[in-house]
Amino acid sequence: MPDKNELKKQACATIDAHKDEIIGIAKEVLNNPEPGFSEIKTSRLVQSKFDQLGITHKDGLAITGVKGRIPGGGGDGPRVAIIGELDSLIVDQHPHADPETRAAHACGHHCQIGMMLGSTLALTQESVLSQLSGEIVPFAVPAEEFIEVGKRLELRDQNKLEFLGGKQELIKLGEFDDVDISVMCHTASDMGDRTFALGGTSNGHVVKYVKFIGRGAHAGSAPHLGINALNAATFALQAINSNRETFKDDETVRIHGIMSKGGEAVNAVPADVRLEWRVRSGTPKAVVANSAVVDRCFKAGALAVGATVNITNIPGYLPMRNDSRLQELFQQNASQLIGESKVLVMPPRRNRGGSTDMGDLSQLMPVCHPYTSGAVGAGHSKDYVVTDYESAVITPAKIMAMVVVDLLADGGVKGQEIMSEHRPAMKKPYYLQFQRERAEVIEYSGA
Amino acid sequence: MPSSDELKRIAFEEIDSRADEIINISKTILNNPEPGFREINTAKLVSEKLGNLGIPFRAGLAITGIRADLLCGNPGPTMAILGELDSLIVNEHPFANPSTGAAHACGHHCQIGMLLGAAMALNQPKILESLSGRIALIAVPAEEYIEIEYRDELRKQGQLEFLGGKPELIKLGEFDDVDLAMMVHTTSTPEEKQLCVSGTNNGTVAKKIQFIGKGSHAGGSPHLGINALNAATLALSAIHFNRETFKDADTVRVHPIITKGGEAVSAVPADVRMETFVRGKTLEAIMDANVKVDRALRAGAMAVGASVKIETIPGYMPLSQDKNLYELFTPNAVDLVGQENVGSVAHRTGSTDMGDVSQIMPAIHPYVGGAVGLGHGATYVVEDYQLSVITAAKSIVATVIDALGDGGAKGGKIVAEHRPEMTRHEYLSLMRSLAKEDMFEAN
Repeated sequence: MPDKNELKKQACATIDAHKDEIIGIAKEVLNNPEPGFSEIKTSRLVQSKFDQLGITHKDGLAITGVKGRIPGGGGDGPRVAIIGELDSLIVDQHPHADPETRAAHACGHHCQIGMMLGSTLALTQESVLSQLSGEIVPFAVPAEEFIEVGKRLELRDQNKLEFLGGKQELIKLGEFDDVDISVMCHTASDMGDRTFALGGTSNGHVVKYVKFIGRGAHAGSAPHLGINALNAATFALQAINSNRETFKDDETVRIHGIMSKGGEAVNAVPADVRLEWRVRSGTPKAVVANSAVVDRCFKAGALAVGATVNITNIPGYLPMRNDSRLQELFQQNASQLIGESKVLVMPPRRNRGGSTDMGDLSQLMPVCHPYTSGAVGAGHSKDYVVTDYESAVITPAKIMAMVVVDLLADGGVKGQEIMSEHRPAMKKPYYLQFQRERAEVIEYSGA
Repeated sequence: MPSSDELKRIAFEEIDSRADEIINISKTILNNPEPGFREINTAKLVSEKLGNLGIPFRAGLAITGIRADLLCGNPGPTMAILGELDSLIVNEHPFANPSTGAAHACGHHCQIGMLLGAAMALNQPKILESLSGRIALIAVPAEEYIEIEYRDELRKQGQLEFLGGKPELIKLGEFDDVDLAMMVHTTSTPEEKQLCVSGTNNGTVAKKIQFIGKGSHAGGSPHLGINALNAATLALSAIHFNRETFKDADTVRVHPIITKGGEAVSAVPADVRMETFVRGKTLEAIMDANVKVDRALRAGAMAVGASVKIETIPGYMPLSQDKNLYELFTPNAVDLVGQENVGSVAHRTGSTDMGDVSQIMPAIHPYVGGAVGLGHGATYVVEDYQLSVITAAKSIVATVIDALGDGGAKGGKIVAEHRPEMTRHEYLSLMRSLAKEDMFEAN
């Protein structure tokens, strides 16, 4: 029986042999960017690749998700998901933006589809698969980027979704009930001389749709009859900023947003002013507490001028918890593949400030969400492009394949060990309850 | 019976012959400024002068007020002449008391000169015999609404109910037997000329505000604090956000100060205090703005999770002057200074407790020139005492003679035709209803 190192070598060789094809997949996705829950072509591409590999799959999960199932040859064992995110952002002026929809892969998710399929290709080789127990679950998931909230709320109203993030919705649908461990790898552009990074955490968040309702009046002739919703909103923003000194440094609080409507016409007292806001923090508890502070500020804005405020709170993502033992496997394999000096391990509390729905999954099961180099430019900007596909697709495909070998070889003993030592932060019913409690509509009259 | 012109001539002669003495009274007060409810020496001076004139008086009304009545030869209405005893506090004023900062930066010292000049002129048998009714000479304390903390303390000690002199005298019944009232105030506004017929003044409520947060080390643990200074500054912003809703015609004025802004720079401020006036042309305008100010104060507290205590204290009522009484005053003003030197102003946005008197009886509050500089500022000084005191005294005396001469016919007619905004009883209930203390807790 070949040892693990032999299996890994075979897997990596398969990936190298199919390098052009794997990178080609990533580039095809790059050239057909589709934002979350609209990843029709991208989803179809994944399905056709699964078909080519003879992988049975379920499609249309949470609208566009595709989930494969590949039983290992060694009998029952842990079920490991290799996740690739299907969705793009919307970034006008990105060099690879769709000219019509402005959709663009400015966060490197196209590479994830390449690497997910690359790992899968390597692991499904008979010589490897026969030595693995349990199940490999290559999983293309929709909508990691929390954007186009209005559009997604419409989908929610049509009962096509409950949650606005892909993994959240898939958790609710039970599509992670038969998964024990999940891995993925995200591209990064800010890694300096390292090429693979592990650890750290991300922020949880709540999304807010806010509408200040005032009373319109002629701004010149009868301002005394009006109630200025723009003043209510401006006051609320000042109020939020006045609370910043109370946020703890280690909770990496980020509160930010945009004014999506600031009035109708300059000669009328603004009566309908809208904000889209986001409250991020490093722990679920802090998300809840700071969300309440921000709600209070919105109410204070309404109170300041006698307006009404309507706050629609939408559950966002939860903070990331990388499983330390799973992460160790990634660290060992990455070091073996690219050299220890190229691997960065961040302390568990190092928070990158952003949010991902991989965080939600990490509350429920052992998860690892490393970063790989290969991109340049600021994330989510028009400058974010992948320049080194070897590093952005091929290397992580190999590392994930190697980790899966470690988890599922030898009867899946390592995977079992990680599962049994993992202490989930939440169980699914509590998770769903927690997130549903975040979904709240608040109406407050300051009159 | 001498004609009213004859009576005025006799009265003016008396004033002219004692002009130096009268002006000296004003200058003595200028040099001994005392703020409201502390006018001990000023009141003593008034008492002495009244004693010298042999006019009986009652002193110690509303702490420092004095009233002396001159009885006329025949029955008729009672007309009050008011003079305000109090100074302001303006440290940089050239005549400020170096230790208290008190200074006559609003010309009240001239009013006491006028009041005593009028007393000298009217307290002549020839004049009193020819008039009907009664002349109430009232030296009133505390027109300037300042030192709220101090007065609130007097209130808590039971020495006062209201924080202004005239409201307190009204409450004490000192205006119960008064039918009409007048006083003359100095002005430095050139457009108001030498004597000025004025219209209305803003009324006001006063507010004492305390934002209560939670102290904490501002460097070590700001997250454990609640910043009352942020609550207060946000509340100020919230007030400003409402300004566009104040109607021009309502001439609303909201002008807060922060009297305490924190304890130490290294601690999250937990106790921040503010005072403000909320002024407006009508009671409705004041109350409309007051509701908005209260809401803004609560919004400041809510914004940071603090509490706010809002104490609303009745201030002064809007001034509304009696046109008929002005019909007596204005021709006398023209006679004294010439038509070209009589000005007029429709509305002033400051406040005076003569407004309170004007709510319950016919009253006028004309202005006399002679001052320069900005009212309530260090530059406000009286330069022309002949005009500010002597001419003003004559204008008062002449108006009283017109009102109470001829059997008090004109004065009686003014009283009969006047429709007061409210009775004294209604006034007191209204004032008491304005006094409010609210506590708002954001959390």
